[in-house]
Amino acid sequence: MLLYVMIAILSGVSIVIARIINYNLAKRIGIIQGTFYNYVFGLFVSFIFLVLSYELHHISTETMKSIPLWAYLGGLTGVLVVVLSSYITPKISAFYLTLLMFIGQLFVGIIIDYYTLNILSIGKVIGGFLVLIGLSYNLLIDLKSIKLR
Amino acid sequence: MNNITSTFIGALIAIMILFNGTLSNALGNYTSSVIIHIVGLFCMIFILLISKSTVKLEKGIPLYLYSAGVIGVFTVLFNNLTFYKLGVSITLALGLLGQSLCSIVVDHFGLLGMKVVRFENKKYIGLFFIIFGIIIMTFF
Repeated sequence: MLLYVMIAILSGVSIVIARIINYNLAKRIGIIQGTFYNYVFGLFVSFIFLVLSYELHHISTETMKSIPLWAYLGGLTGVLVVVLSSYITPKISAFYLTLLMFIGQLFVGIIIDYYTLNILSIGKVIGGFLVLIGLSYNLLIDLKSIKLR
Repeated sequence: MNNITSTFIGALIAIMILFNGTLSNALGNYTSSVIIHIVGLFCMIFILLISKSTVKLEKGIPLYLYSAGVIGVFTVLFNNLTFYKLGVSITLALGLLGQSLCSIVVDHFGLLGMKVVRFENKKYIGLFFIIFGIIIMTFF
């Protein structure tokens, strides 16, 4: 359990580091071009992992067909996130963008858990609000220190 | 409209974790990571074509600037690993905690070429709420 908690936190850490590097790359070659290279190098590394993992031996076309089609659309969803983010970033303050994205993530996540795990927990809703209060409080501190400079 | 779009982006991220997590449970972590990147790459090529953008390998760009895609592989792997055990909402809440902690460290030391923004003790209050919220999400 604790191991998975650590891994989930590390996924957040990896998002921030990738975002900063992306931002620096996009400044030089453009957002769409930068994202294109991310997928090229990401695919390359994933492929190396796949070859090293021996997972290839277990893949059968039957299992691949048995999976619902929507499960294959994560890559498309990821690209939509990048494109929409780059479209919206100049139009809205970073504070509201970050906060609204967090609200969308947490509450759609709670809805998905309700439908997939059949858990409707008040704890998740209340806990989700507390997470949002903490995030927005710290974002407001950032906002103030940016304005002061 | 901008507010709706921003919230929608967040919703897409949650949906993406469900999609990728489901694929990964069925096919395994590494196979699904390859499929996710192939689908994403095809979508990017499509976008490059319709936006008539060109891509060329420019010289003089330090190699590490291309590493975001490699780091992204780990984001996908980490999310898929935790999705199965913790569900979508707790995975995301812990991810948000990780993002907050990492941003604080990067800002405080001015890492990766970012400006130095010293840590303020007031931020402990925000972090406390985030962690307290996650505990309530997990145990109630």
